[in-house]
Amino acid sequence: MLLVDDNPADIDLTHNALSRTPFSLHISSVPDGAEAMALLCRTGKYKDARPPDLVILDLNLPRKDGRAVLSEVKSSPQLRKTPVIIFSTSQASRDIGRSYELGANSYVCKPGNLQDYISAIMHIGNFWLGCAHLPHQEEQ
Amino acid sequence: MKSGNAGPQNGSKPAPATRPRLRALLVEDNSADAELVVRELKRGGFDVSSETAQTPEQFRAKLRPNRPDVVLADYNLGQWRGMDALEILRQEHLEDIPLILVSGALGDVTAVECIKRGATDYVLKDSLARLPVSIRRALHEREVSEERKLVQSELAKKAEELARSNRDLEQFAYVASHDLQEPLRMVAAYTQLLAEKYRGKLDEEAEKYIHYAVDGATRMQTLIQDLLAFSRAGRDGMPTAPASSGEIVERALQNLEGALRDSHAIVNYGGLPTIIANAGQMQQVFQNLIGNAIKFRGPETPVIDVAADRVGGEWQFSVADNGIGIAPEHAANIFVVFQRLHTREEYPGNGIGLAICKKILERHGGRIWVESQAGQGTIFKFTLPAAAAEPQADAAIPQPLAAAAAG
Repeated sequence: MLLVDDNPADIDLTHNALSRTPFSLHISSVPDGAEAMALLCRTGKYKDARPPDLVILDLNLPRKDGRAVLSEVKSSPQLRKTPVIIFSTSQASRDIGRSYELGANSYVCKPGNLQDYISAIMHIGNFWLGCAHLPHQEEQ
Repeated sequence: MKSGNAGPQNGSKPAPATRPRLRALLVEDNSADAELVVRELKRGGFDVSSETAQTPEQFRAKLRPNRPDVVLADYNLGQWRGMDALEILRQEHLEDIPLILVSGALGDVTAVECIKRGATDYVLKDSLARLPVSIRRALHEREVSEERKLVQSELAKKAEELARSNRDLEQFAYVASHDLQEPLRMVAAYTQLLAEKYRGKLDEEAEKYIHYAVDGATRMQTLIQDLLAFSRAGRDGMPTAPASSGEIVERALQNLEGALRDSHAIVNYGGLPTIIANAGQMQQVFQNLIGNAIKFRGPETPVIDVAADRVGGEWQFSVADNGIGIAPEHAANIFVVFQRLHTREEYPGNGIGLAICKKILERHGGRIWVESQAGQGTIFKFTLPAAAAEPQADAAIPQPLAAAAAG
């Protein structure tokens, strides 16, 4: 799993929430959109990285924002089958609509209180890892 | 006849210490007539400096650099007319200079026409003694009108400043509340995680500290959300449209489903009119008022009546309940932001609902007040201006909504 978020506190929270699911997970995290693309395209220091099966992506990121990452991933023939879940505090219908237009697999608003945050991440994990079938990622 | 005479002609009264200065521009092709006019002005107590123009070009030229205080124009000067001078004044943006026609017999119809077209007055050449009086009145009227224009423009400027200041404040409140939420989310989440992680492993004192911290953080989150709601309520420039208040009440009741079920409350509403309002904001109003009626209930099953009456040019809505009531001395306070009459243990809430209602209604041009006694239920009333061509209220039959009747 790849977490893309510039807030380390939220990265930790998401780790915490995922640890409450029954799955054994390998979780990477990057703090901005440029690093996210480098990892996904396996360039530079990420050339030996495992391709993630699922990406949880925040929208407001430094260097390259989440909207750009989403757009690039979903227009790349190699990357676009990877499920990308937008996880953002923004409730703006503009952001939600645009994300789906660009091909986001779903959009989840980061809840304000702890219980709901944990619950949301667990829902995401339980659905994508326990219920849905993920596409096979080739190790090239 | 002497000219440039300094004193009055009659009696031994001493000359006034200062004579008002008057710069007069005469439109006259007869120099004898012009002299007569000037003499009359001096007799009337003015310190006159005068110029004469016989053609439109001369007239235009003499308007500057020294603006005349008054234009005295003959009606007919052969090639052109005194009323043409009025047109020139308009072109030169000097239409506030009074133009008085000084002329031979004009006839009432013509005279009235000239005044309608903008001449300030007209004086007959064989009644010149009226001229000073006419000039004084014209100058006075201009002063008054200029003062009024000044006041109006100051008022308009103040109103614009106020509107801008309001917009700035609302923008600030919105941005502040929005940006405050993020760091607060961190504090709230991690104090809760601390509580969870060390539950049972810390002494009582530490557990209490964590509890207070968590409580404070979560309360602050609700406060900021409320502030955000308040700053969004009734914002400048919200769109309004005709809306069925009955449907708005229904949507509010849908949002109150849980509370209605838990309290077994009965809400009666019917015959509610079409209003011109912002439906979303009015839904908030009804939701707050009906929600309060349910929350502050007494020992009996809550019964809430929503009704509307046409009073003059307004619709007067009422939300009446049989709850715990409000003592009259608190009636004004309850609409103030964050003012509460009860502790948080007695009844939940931040004290912002009624402040939001008041803001929304005032933005709609209405007002809200309460009629109540402690222990005798409460009636909240508010007004909304009615539209000009008022459509009739829908169904006159009351529609009781018994939330738990089905059981």
